[in-house]
Amino acid sequence: MSDQIKILVIDDELIMRDGCARILSRSGWTVITAENGHQGLDEIRRHPSEIDIILLDLMMPGMSGMETLERIREIDSNLLIVVITGYATVESAVAAMKKGAYDFTAKPFTPDQLRLVVQRALERRLLQKETDFLRRERERSLRDIATEKSKLKTIINCMGDGVLVCDSESCIALTNPAASRMLATPELQLSGRISSECNLPPELLKAIEKSLSTIEPGYVSMSQELCIGNAANLYLRAHTAPVHSDSGEIMGSVTVLQDISYLKELDKMKSDFIAMVAHELRAPIAAVEQQLNVILNKMTGEITEKQEQLLGRAKERTRGVLDLIRDLLDLSKIEAGKMVQYKESVSLHEVISRVVDVINIEAAAKNISLEFVSTAATPHINADRNNMEGILTNLISNAIKYTREGGSILVRLEDENSFVKISVTDTGIGIKQEDIPRIFDRFYRVKSSETRQIIGTGLGLSIVKSIVDAHLGSIMVESEEGEGTTFTILFPKEAEYAECAVDNGLN
Amino acid sequence: MGKKILVVDDDPDLVDATSIILKSKNYEVSVAYDGVEGMEKARNEKPDLIVLDVMMPQKDGYTLCKELKADPDLRRIPVLLLTAVVDHIPTTRFTQQMGMETEADDFIDKPVEPQVLVERVEALLAKQ
Repeated sequence: MSDQIKILVIDDELIMRDGCARILSRSGWTVITAENGHQGLDEIRRHPSEIDIILLDLMMPGMSGMETLERIREIDSNLLIVVITGYATVESAVAAMKKGAYDFTAKPFTPDQLRLVVQRALERRLLQKETDFLRRERERSLRDIATEKSKLKTIINCMGDGVLVCDSESCIALTNPAASRMLATPELQLSGRISSECNLPPELLKAIEKSLSTIEPGYVSMSQELCIGNAANLYLRAHTAPVHSDSGEIMGSVTVLQDISYLKELDKMKSDFIAMVAHELRAPIAAVEQQLNVILNKMTGEITEKQEQLLGRAKERTRGVLDLIRDLLDLSKIEAGKMVQYKESVSLHEVISRVVDVINIEAAAKNISLEFVSTAATPHINADRNNMEGILTNLISNAIKYTREGGSILVRLEDENSFVKISVTDTGIGIKQEDIPRIFDRFYRVKSSETRQIIGTGLGLSIVKSIVDAHLGSIMVESEEGEGTTFTILFPKEAEYAECAVDNGLN
Repeated sequence: MGKKILVVDDDPDLVDATSIILKSKNYEVSVAYDGVEGMEKARNEKPDLIVLDVMMPQKDGYTLCKELKADPDLRRIPVLLLTAVVDHIPTTRFTQQMGMETEADDFIDKPVEPQVLVERVEALLAKQ
């Protein structure tokens, strides 16, 4: 768009044309002239939308000024026309304005007068141009937005994952074919409906509800597995998160659904395979240990001291392998998410008492004192009982393993606000500072002269940590070489016992 | 004493080891290497106690135990199940349930300490 102002002067008198041209070009404007209406119209047609102002003489022979005016208006009603009237003819000026002229100036006029009237028209013209520009820009933006919007919609519709967006009133604002397929509900029956009326799985509804009602801005997302259909053949993983506006208000919630059915199947195949392998490995080794038992118990006759020592050691090694197989099985169960089988209200006091009773014999055999002190008033948590017994057994067994004869072990159970705290402290050989960060790693075993003889799989603590994590707890260790070690576990109390029942679903 | 014990297990080494333990305490030992053979011998010999391995081909220990307990002639014979679950805590929920469901009289994890096996056997026989 050229920035040069172009003015068209239509007048039959040469003096006028030249005069205007001279005056106006002095102001830096480009002037085109035409000596009659026809020429003028030609010029306009030749330079469409380039002419800014038209100066039109009303007194012309041939096609009159008025007729020219009308014709010009037909071509482009946006053109600004300033009519030049004859001596004292206000009526023709008014008539011209009624026909759409923008302004008028009467002959004779001074150069200044001419410039003034053109200037006024130009101001109007510039405004016009700006408006046109803005309008075009807006149209382009709107087109862009529409394209972007439809691009976005296309992308969302092609996604393999399901998308479900709800507004702050829990009304479904956006879905896609994948979501409709996964939820076994046609899109039409989802879009625009209140989520609770859409036959969605109850856990998903709960998650949406929760995400729409969170107050803390830190809340990120909730992930859960859903099982769809009576045949239980469709497994979904749903990630639900709130959508915040810039000012932090909740605008709605978005859920992404993934089909994990094949993952579940793979998991099952893996678990089945591992179980089979574990059994195949276990049976022969159990047989070997049994045979060693028989010999060591002198049921096949007397054995020498050396034989007893070696066979005893052999038995420990086979036991070690059996423990390893068991730990590997546990690990595979944890990976399959199957470790935490069945959660119920568990009294940690009961669990620890039971474990301590059974393990006491082992401790006594090494002359180690094992004490259990409980100061917790409400040590109840929501947990898998077997898992709890398992981790306590592991920690206390370890304590016994790594504590010398005559040492002592203290198990404490305490309340800590909305958590229950379990600590197992021993007076054993301790753990080096450099080993502490890796102590929960799988297969990590501390290598030192003192631990060489101790049989272990290196999996125990990693399993303990996995179980603690699965119960939303935390575990930490403090130790001093040569002095002893303390393992501390925190578990969130069962809701009714917690002082502050804030569950943010994270950790 | 002269009590007769039937040992049913598909692993010959385990059968051997278990037999040695029991014979060392002067029990008469009869053996079977699978559930079908076990059932036959139980019917024919009417032992005083049956030691059953859980994992066996053809007929597993739980099934055999159920059948034994369902047979009026054999129901009174105490059955000791040898399970393959190795845990620090003696019994998992599953084993407990299965054991209870099949009405076994007792169950131990294998490999078993000879002394423990002997004690359990003696306890079961004393109840008769």
